[in-house]
Formats: sequence, C-alpha cells, structure tokens
Amino acid sequence: MGIQERIIEILVNNKPGVLARVAGVFGRLGYNIESLCVAETISPEISRITSITNADSDFIEKVKKQLTRLVDVIEVTELVSGQSAQREMVLIGITLNQKNRQEVAQTVSMFDCKIISMRDNYCTIQVAGSREEVETVINFMRPLGVDKIARTGVLALQRTGK
Amino acid sequence: MDTTGADILVNTLKDEGVDTIFGYPGASSLPIHDSMLKSSIRHYLVRHEQAAAHAADGYARATGKVGVCLATSGPGATNLVTGIATAYMDSTPLVVMTGQVTTNLLGSDAFQETDIIGITMPITKHSYLVNDPCDIGSILKEAFDIARSGRPGPVLVDLPRDIMATKCDLADARNVPSRVKPHAQEEQHDERLKKIAVSLNRAERPVLLIGGGVKLAQACDDLAGLIEKGSLPFVSTMMGIGSVTAANGFNLGFIGTHGNELANRIVHDSDFILAIGARFSDRSTSVVSEFAPLATIAQIDIDASSIGKVIKADLSLVCDIREALEGLGSLIEEKDRQEWLGRIKREREARNQSGEMDECGAAGPFIRDVQAALPEKSIAITDVGLNQIWTLRSWKARAPRSVITPGGLGTMGFGLPAAMGVQMGEPDHTVVVFSGDGGFFMNIQELATISCYQIPIKIVVFNNGHLGMIRQIQDLFYGARFCDIELGTSTVDLVTIAKGFGIEADRVVVDNAAAGIEKMATSTGPFLLEVVVPPENYVYPIIPPGKSNIDMISGRVG
Repeated sequence: MGIQERIIEILVNNKPGVLARVAGVFGRLGYNIESLCVAETISPEISRITSITNADSDFIEKVKKQLTRLVDVIEVTELVSGQSAQREMVLIGITLNQKNRQEVAQTVSMFDCKIISMRDNYCTIQVAGSREEVETVINFMRPLGVDKIARTGVLALQRTGK
Repeated sequence: MDTTGADILVNTLKDEGVDTIFGYPGASSLPIHDSMLKSSIRHYLVRHEQAAAHAADGYARATGKVGVCLATSGPGATNLVTGIATAYMDSTPLVVMTGQVTTNLLGSDAFQETDIIGITMPITKHSYLVNDPCDIGSILKEAFDIARSGRPGPVLVDLPRDIMATKCDLADARNVPSRVKPHAQEEQHDERLKKIAVSLNRAERPVLLIGGGVKLAQACDDLAGLIEKGSLPFVSTMMGIGSVTAANGFNLGFIGTHGNELANRIVHDSDFILAIGARFSDRSTSVVSEFAPLATIAQIDIDASSIGKVIKADLSLVCDIREALEGLGSLIEEKDRQEWLGRIKREREARNQSGEMDECGAAGPFIRDVQAALPEKSIAITDVGLNQIWTLRSWKARAPRSVITPGGLGTMGFGLPAAMGVQMGEPDHTVVVFSGDGGFFMNIQELATISCYQIPIKIVVFNNGHLGMIRQIQDLFYGARFCDIELGTSTVDLVTIAKGFGIEADRVVVDNAAAGIEKMATSTGPFLLEVVVPPENYVYPIIPPGKSNIDMISGRVG
C-alpha cells in the first residue's frame, strides 16, 4: 500500500522521559512525526499521545511492535478516519490593515472562526475543525498576509467506547 | 533512621539473589560501595568499566541469572556503553547501576555529570533515574523483573549520590508492585500452534532454525525431544550454537556469513523453516530475498517485534519458547524422514570428503586439541574476528551455555572480561577464552584483575600481528590492498606482559602447540598461551559481501 497519513494513538504512563523513548522509536525506524499531541487522559497518571506520520502500510505493524516493547507504553492503536473523531486547532496571527481588514473579517465569519485577541491591529484567530477544514482556512488566510501560525496537530478519539 | 538509600539498594540486591557485582567506584557511587562493605555481596574491582559490563554479561550468559555491574557517573557510566550495547544485542539480562551527581546539580554540567539515561536509551530495555530513596526498593525489583522477563536485556538504574546517602525511615519505603506482567497468550494461540505443527508434519524438507532464544527460555531439552521425535534436521544461528548437543546427526551447523556450507545449503533447499527464538539477522540471512527461497517460513518468538521484521513469516506465534515447544512436542508426528535425511547425509559426506567442512587452517586442530586437553565441562568464550569463527567451528559445544560469543554487536575486547564473569559464575568449570591479538589489546588491562583475584581462566591469544579477519576481507574483496591492519604484535612480547602481571604464560606456534597446551591445561591458576599464527591463516568458506548464503567461496576467486 502507498504512503498515506496514518494516525496512531499511544497510551503511556505519564512520566518523565517516556515521550523521548516513544519519539526514539519513530526516529530509529526512519519515520517523521508530522504532528504530535500529548496530554494527560481522564486518569492523570496516563497520557494520550496522538501522532500523525506519512508512511506505508508496514509502518503501523513495525511501530506498534516496537512501541509495545517499551515498559511505559500501555496501548497502541491505529485510528482510522471513519471510526474516529478528529479535530485540530490552529491559531493564526495576522496584522490587519486597510487592504485585508474586510477579507479577514469575512473569512472569520464564513468559516466560523473566532478572534481571540486584538492588539494594535494585530489579530489572533482561532480555527478548529478537521484537518481539511483548518487547512482550508489557512489557505484562505495565507494571501491576506499571515504572520505566523501555531497548530495543535490532530487530536483524535475512537468513536465508540469500550 | 540509620538506613540510607544505598542500604535499601544493597538489601534489595540481596533479596534478588545477587552475590557478585563487577564495578569501579567513583565519587558519585561511593555511598553504594560503602553500604556494600557491610553486606555479603562480593564486589570485583575491574580495571576499566567496559570490562565490568562485559564481565556481568559473561556471568549472566553462563549462569542464566541477571548480571550486575556498577560504575560511577560521567566517564564511569559512558565507559559501560559498549558493554550495555553488547548485552542488548544478544538479549542478556543485566542490571546496570550508575552513580549520578546529586539531584540539585542535575542538568548543570556538573563535574562528572552525563545524561547516561539519554545516551543508553536505544540500547536498554528500560531505565530509571531514582529521585526518592523510598522508591529504590520498588524500582530495583522492577528492574530485575524487566531484565529477565520476555526477551531479556539490560536495564539501567541511575542513582544520584544524595539519594543514596540520604537517611530514610524504612517504614516510608514504598513497595509498589512490579509492572511486569506474565506474558499474555497471543490471540488464537492454540490455532497458531496447530497450524505450525500441521505444516511441519506435512513438510517434505523441513529444517529448524535455532536462535539464541532457545537457551534464554531454558528450552533446550524440549527442543531436543522435538528433534528426536520428528527426525528434524536443524541449523543454528551463531547465538543458537550449543542449544542441542546430542550427536544425533540432525545438527547441520550454523548458518550465515561464516557458517557451515552444509547448513546454508540445506536451508536453501528446504521447503519449511521453523525459526525458534531467531531474529533473521543479516549475518544469518545474507541476501534476504534469496534466503530459503522455496520454504514456508514459520517463526516462534517471545518478542513480537522480531516476527516478520526481516523475513515475512507465513506462520507465527508470539510465545514463551518453552511453552511453545511443549505444545509442539505433542502435536508433531513421529517420522523417520528417510528421503530428506538421506539427501542431507549425502551432502554431508560429499563435503567431508572434499575437506570443505573445516577450513580454519591450523587453528581448527589446535582448538580441538585444547578442548581435548581440558575437562569435559569446560566453557569456551570467544572474542571477535577469526578467533571467533575458528572457535565456533572447531569447539564442540557439550552443554547449552558452554560456548559464549558476542554475536550481535561483534564486540572486540569482549572475550577477556566476559571470561572473568563466566568464571565467577561457574567457579567449578574450566573457562577458556580464545582471543585474537587485536581484541586482546582492547581490554588487556584486565590481566591485572585476573591476577589480583587469581581468576583461573585459560587465555589463548592467537597472535598473527594483524586484524586477521579484516586482512582476509582486504585480501579477497579489496584486491589485496592491505592497509591499517598491522598491529605489530610480533614485536610485542605477550608472554613477558602476562608475567609482568603475575600470570603464568607460554608461547607456541599454532601447528606445534602440544607442550603449551599441556602446560595450560595443568596450570591451576590463570594462564596465558600466546599462539603464533601466520596472517594468511584465514577461515573458509565465506560469503562475499552482497552474495547469498549459497554463494560461499572457499578461497580467492577471480
């Protein structure tokens, strides 16, 4: 199978050094981490790592087996798009001027974004949605003079409980 | 309140049955040494930390117990790295303890501070930085559990000096149960095992491929039973050598770059390979796409990540090998396999006649003479290079843990210190190490340790004045353009060196060694035998780089 975006969810013990070990496995196998989210779960002693990698179909098998060997890794799951809810958030920083003010405002309302800070004509916009949605907004904003962006990377959850 | 962190550490070591530690003290590890003074644990002072790690490794390989070593922070810790990597590659259970600077100095580039956990992350199963003396007991217990469970390996415990020196109330010590759980059975365990058995029963030309995992799982007897019952010919990887010692005609030798021609040939011709505790390393398989091209591949391993890593396994089972072999034992049919065994026999005889089975030159007969002169239950340790292949091809393993070699990492300098550890673990057995002059020089300082503790190991140093195996490669594959391989050892008097350390020694020429062997065999203390070998004494057959296992050559080609 060809190269495609693959989302892996890794539940780990919430302890120092664990992320370095997990990242080390990706690096040693030659895979780049495109995005990474790490935060504690409903049980504070466990963290959920959600990562995206562009990789072939061998990837899941190889990474899963290697990660499972780590003492602090509890569970590794591939999240397939249909069966998981996915969200990403982006903060976009942009300086408003006579030329772009209107278009920025339109884009914000068109995509249901939120202006969360405005200081001396410097505006910070919050965008949340699927990866495609936030990328569409970024592409709309780009020609308007985006100064910088920060992305959370994709967060994902299996759609069903267990 | 007089108990220190170090006391808890030492008590836990004793609870874990540790009686021997190899180490080298420094300022950061002193509280531990101070506490050990009051205990029954014997600390052996090596002369370089690398030797402590190799000695602990040798101890573990010989006894099956967890090996333990201890070094101070900074350079003490970094000197362990090669030893840890060696143990990791060959799945040896080790607990490696390192002193560390006090916690208030961590991350400040303090004197003798190094991030040893970061440095060793890819070569340890797990590691811990202890930052509360109350945790030491739990952490250390878990470290031992991790080291020996599943696929064994080294675990590092980094111990800041203040944590070791802090007095603490034993009542506050936490006793968190170890997180190591018994190995869960793989889904469809029974079906998977049955499928493997059915295919094995149906196969016309089956071969078992035995890796180091069989010894690690203490499954050698089960394997021997399986082989007898199914009349199953078997080959080993380098790490699997010695797993089955019965002279029953089923043993075809070891496969790979420096393996036996018969073993490589039969694997190539087989229609079914059952790999047991073997990871298909590049040294075993050569060109993967040409490895056993006709065979269905089945693989049993405790480590899921080994399955299908190199070669796609048509059938597989993640399982403790002993458990799997017990199951297989009742599922496989008794067979005589006349046709297949007959073919193997003819292949073997043809090779015996042409003398291709043993091309170690004069080193082969020499090693056999050494073995004949030593007690039956002697243990042989190799270094790396020609000495290693000569020994593995010539020394007859008579028990599973009687041949010890650093197969995965190929660490020159392993032999001498590992042999010290083997002797400490098996004081009643004669221990002989075969080394080349190159590897010998890499840890020559350990002659002092050997002399100091009068460790009665027999040290054979093949002296060809060269990096012999590299010379062979330059000779065969680099147009005999020799460079950077002359060790000039011919001008160094190893016998005088050994005597300078207080070790008895003698020098012989490889094809006229009887007197020297006799002296070594009858000596009661440590003994060094320098064996002069011509640099052209290579090992054949060999597989040229980029060629497959059946393209072995027996001499210079083209």
